[in-house]
Amino acid sequence: MNQPIHLIGSGQTRFGEWWGKSLKDLMDEAANAALTGTPCTALDIDMIVVANMLAEVTNEQAHLGSMASSILPHHPPALRVESACGSGAFALHTACAFLESGRAQTVLVIGVEKMTDVSADDVSSALMGAADSEKDRPSGLTFPGIFGLIASRYMHEYGLTREDLSLVSAVHHRQAMENPFAQFRSSITPETVSRSPLIAHPLRLLDCSPVSDGAAAVVLSTKFVSPLRLAASQTSTDHLSVVDRLSLTSFPATQDACERALQESELHLADISALETHDCFSIAALINLEDLGFADPGDSIRVYRRLYEGETGPLSVNRSGGLKACGHPVSATGIKQLIDVGKQLTTTGDRFGMAHNFGGACATCAIHILENLDARSIL
Amino acid sequence: MPDSSPIYARSQSQWPSKLQSGIVLAVTTLTHPPGRFGPRPRTIGLIQLTDGSKVMGHILGSSMIGQRVRPRLQLSCVTGEGLRLYDVAYEPLAAKPALRTQPFPGYVLALTGPSGVGKSTISNLLMQVSAPYVVKVPILTTRGRKSGDDGEYRYVSKEKFQELMGKDALVATAKIPSHTDDRWYGYRRADIERIWRQGRIPVVITEMHLLQGLAHSYGRRSILSFGLLPPGKSRRAMLSHLLRRLRTRGRETEEHIADRLKNAERDLAFFDERKDLFDHFLVNEDLDVVIEMVKKNVPGLAEA
Repeated sequence: MNQPIHLIGSGQTRFGEWWGKSLKDLMDEAANAALTGTPCTALDIDMIVVANMLAEVTNEQAHLGSMASSILPHHPPALRVESACGSGAFALHTACAFLESGRAQTVLVIGVEKMTDVSADDVSSALMGAADSEKDRPSGLTFPGIFGLIASRYMHEYGLTREDLSLVSAVHHRQAMENPFAQFRSSITPETVSRSPLIAHPLRLLDCSPVSDGAAAVVLSTKFVSPLRLAASQTSTDHLSVVDRLSLTSFPATQDACERALQESELHLADISALETHDCFSIAALINLEDLGFADPGDSIRVYRRLYEGETGPLSVNRSGGLKACGHPVSATGIKQLIDVGKQLTTTGDRFGMAHNFGGACATCAIHILENLDARSIL
Repeated sequence: MPDSSPIYARSQSQWPSKLQSGIVLAVTTLTHPPGRFGPRPRTIGLIQLTDGSKVMGHILGSSMIGQRVRPRLQLSCVTGEGLRLYDVAYEPLAAKPALRTQPFPGYVLALTGPSGVGKSTISNLLMQVSAPYVVKVPILTTRGRKSGDDGEYRYVSKEKFQELMGKDALVATAKIPSHTDDRWYGYRRADIERIWRQGRIPVVITEMHLLQGLAHSYGRRSILSFGLLPPGKSRRAMLSHLLRRLRTRGRETEEHIADRLKNAERDLAFFDERKDLFDHFLVNEDLDVVIEMVKKNVPGLAEA
């Protein structure tokens, strides 16, 4: 970052099925929560970046910049960013660009998605917009299908078993029990995951993150300070369709974004204590750990085995419950991840945390590294 | 997609490159595929084709990683607007489930029209320009050999025909009345399914009863059906055109021609009555145009 950007406020709605709340209600709730307790007032916000993927289809609503702007009394300039399920983190990245360039000093970033207004078939079809409409969709593929293909290949290459894969969701659900904003705050056993209905072989219902409503917001500033500072904001992209990729079991966009984020922050992987990764499906959680460099290819299940056994190591993984248990209102997720990393650093006193958010089957990836400046002063 | 015609048309242009054998790299089965694909689970694979390219394709039956598959064109889905979308699907080569247990194993390209409209000429030309993809299905008949026949018939006795019917070996049969003798025509199930197993498209040059029989046996969705009409603005003009052609052909007596004309009149009426049995109507005025139209409307033949 060419100048310090501080996370001066954050807030979110609980993720879930909010049939009584509109898109604007959710944005309003998250923005209010983010502005509460900040060193600035609402009038200090000189720009809003709103992340959203599906509102045209699921809520018959476009033009979210204007809608977001109208929730503040002075109607600051606002724009919308879309990068499928990675929209949240790409909105953060966009905000950083405005802050670093000096065009804005304090930016409100809101991620919002309201997915339960339409049928499951409609939302599934809308989400397929994140894949290649002419290479992937005509075969009948859905996103669970894409990750079903990825899981089948991963199991084939590395011998991962169904029982092992079930540990991932079991760990995420257990960790979400302490998160008041999580959609599912209930513990499930690996056996329950293995017995849940088949969605896209070999993936079962409890391997999949749910369809959710929710919003998350942060206030980023170069003018006001807080103990939380962004140490890196990096993005990377890959072929849109998995058909064009060299491998199904690894996401190069994650590897590239991670490498550049570490370079930007001048950190090593071992410096990261809190990690939130994009576990839209259980198999993605495993691949993410490998691509980020926290496990060797094919070996990430060991991390989840240890977490399942209750071992605590130097790295917390999806302490919030991840997308699986927190819920996945797609464009809110990237911002919620940064909020959770911040909370974990503040709670534990650790210094660095990483939020990893991707769109589609990691066709776009954004990684943010957050630094807890209070931890630095302790050291 | 898929309710968008331009996307469908662009996707159609990919068919020739997809018509290759390949190896399954990854496979999944969707328990509840998108609504337009029907309620049954759908298996989809990432397939590496012979030329090294990769495609996402529907796999017929179950499959496993590393298995070889071969292409087959088939009806993929019907959109909400009734648009019938065809696509290349892939059939595993080993451990293939029995065809009879599949609800929709492939499709048949049917050319229907009255005598003299040019069905044989069109199909012969189609064979020439699209030889690797299409195969003519032989017609079983109880009538005797005639000089103009060019190999599309298999001649059997009436007794043999009845026996095959009894064994359910024929997917469609028709009795064509004639002033001399009733003749039976039909298609053998084994002939059509053998062509499907080769990953090719069976072509039938047919008439209304046989077309109905095929639709009954395999389901209407399994027939890509073309109705061929003679040129002419009115039915009368069409019939007079047919009469001219039959006489020019010089293969039959005036009596037979009268029979054929009577049948042709019924065929033309049938086009009106059973429009639901046809996907496209083509007027055989210019042979090149007709061939182009058939190729354009048959998945995979456009580039052939």
